[in-house]
Amino acid sequence: MNNIKNLSFLGICLAFVVIALGAWTRLVDAGLGCPDWPGCYGFVVFPINEADIAIAESLYPEFPYDINKAIPEVVHRYFAATLGLFAIFLVYLSFKQNENKNIRLWTIGLLIFICCQGIFGYLTVSLKLLPIIVTGHLFGGFTTLTLFFYIFLKSSNFEILNKMKIPNLKFIAGLAFFILIIQIFLGVWTSTNYASLACADFPTCQGSYLPEMDFKNGFNLNQEVGPNYLYGLLDNPSRVAVHYSHRVSAILVTLIFLILMSKLWFTNAAPLASTLGILLITQISLGIINVVYVLPLYVAIAHNLVAATLLLTIFTINYLAWKK
Amino acid sequence: MNLLRSYYVLCKPNVVYMMLICALVGMLLAEESVTSVTNIVVALIGIALCSGSAAAINQVIDRKADAAMTRTDQRPLPQGELSATHASSFAFVIGVVGALVLYLYINTLTMILTIASLIGYAFIYTVYLKRATPQNIVIGGLAGAAPPLLGWAAISNTIDPYALLLVLIIFVWTPPHFWALAIYRKDEYAKESIPMLPVTHGVAFTKLQIVLYTIILFIVSILPYIVLMSGGIYLISAVILSSMFMYYSIKLYFSSDDEIAMKTFNFSIYYIFLIFVALLCDHYLIR
Repeated sequence: MNNIKNLSFLGICLAFVVIALGAWTRLVDAGLGCPDWPGCYGFVVFPINEADIAIAESLYPEFPYDINKAIPEVVHRYFAATLGLFAIFLVYLSFKQNENKNIRLWTIGLLIFICCQGIFGYLTVSLKLLPIIVTGHLFGGFTTLTLFFYIFLKSSNFEILNKMKIPNLKFIAGLAFFILIIQIFLGVWTSTNYASLACADFPTCQGSYLPEMDFKNGFNLNQEVGPNYLYGLLDNPSRVAVHYSHRVSAILVTLIFLILMSKLWFTNAAPLASTLGILLITQISLGIINVVYVLPLYVAIAHNLVAATLLLTIFTINYLAWKK
Repeated sequence: MNLLRSYYVLCKPNVVYMMLICALVGMLLAEESVTSVTNIVVALIGIALCSGSAAAINQVIDRKADAAMTRTDQRPLPQGELSATHASSFAFVIGVVGALVLYLYINTLTMILTIASLIGYAFIYTVYLKRATPQNIVIGGLAGAAPPLLGWAAISNTIDPYALLLVLIIFVWTPPHFWALAIYRKDEYAKESIPMLPVTHGVAFTKLQIVLYTIILFIVSILPYIVLMSGGIYLISAVILSSMFMYYSIKLYFSSDDEIAMKTFNFSIYYIFLIFVALLCDHYLIR
């Protein structure tokens, strides 16, 4: 059981790294750094010397080779593959032990899920960064992280966590979970549609509190792909609609989290309320910095990672609220 | 003379000085170079009087609990040097004078923010939060984190995002700072049934929280550099200081020696002082 605990903890850490690498790939516009899958321009790793690059370019003449974009893509793939190996090993460990047979289901679920993530990764490349696919890929990544986290919780017997009881907070915890997922969707939708800079001012957007917006087009999930989706295809009002929704929804998330926190603070799960509060402040600050300072790379990646951490926190709160 | 000393001690001078330093840094950072020394001095007096008032109110309300703890039983009220009536009248007078000074000579915004943090600390924290939740100092820390915002507002008459960033640093710093002390004083808090984290959730969990908070503090302390508020001098200082704080917290986590808790607490005071000194150095040296 201890092995499962340790390995799933490492899995959580590595999943964070893979999420960061995925965000990096997206943010340096390297999603199409390798036009093929699973190789990169037909190579196992990205081509480095000139002869190989020549071969690469002759294989895919319509995709000029850029090593700065191939590196993030390949690094992301190999780290993700390592995470897959972790999952395989977790399945093995869970069948070796007999203490907790229930956990076997979860490790198998995790493995299947990571395989789906691989397929999603392939679709991301082959469908030329179609926003709905990229969004799904990120949600898959967050779910993978949460599964590792759940297996970690299940395999380690945290005394302090076992003592915490908040059965009366089921509704508000569930609501917070729901609204957070909506907010993550809006955030990812903002990113995959290249709408992060659609509003370059804060708190106003394009100098107005009610800018011109096109929700219908902005949230059309069946977009045309065009030649590819790098740098986005939406027109300005649609991008503003996407971006502005993420901001307005952030206010809603804040309100619901505040209600949840104010209730949690007076239970013995109070430390989680503070965690939630501090993560929320951090996340809002990072979001504002993203807008005002024109999307600094590390801040944008951090915004992603804090979102993942918020998800795990809300997940834990729900775990406590719904456990028997 | 002794009476005067008692009133002075009633204001928790050490805490007030630390708050004034943070407020002063807020004032100095709010402008390129100092335009009016008088303004700064007057604003500091106003803030000092209000902070002193908050400290005095806190001691009036908490006089019974203070008497039961070795950390606080030397305070003027438990010692019988002052009566509760005298102490509360004194607190009321200096609080009103402080608020008036800010209102008449500085600006309304600074007065409102200062009174809000006074109420936050003296009443919401002392009366309610302290006994209601083990996260008392996390929430209550917001009032203690206000000084840079007050200082900044005194000069610029605005709520500046940079000033909020300084508040965030003190806010995240407060829990590990205070919990290190709470681990050391755990038994006394338990005796007074004040739900401090080491009492309600155990020392091991508190130590883990301290480590986590120092990690967040590390990240938050770098933000002034990321948002172009400060330059290289600050960045290097913040990385070194935050690493040292993390080192202490990790050492504390793996040790069962309570003395290390006290050392961590002492270091945390140097930490916040030096962070603000670094902000100042950076402000004046990099042009």
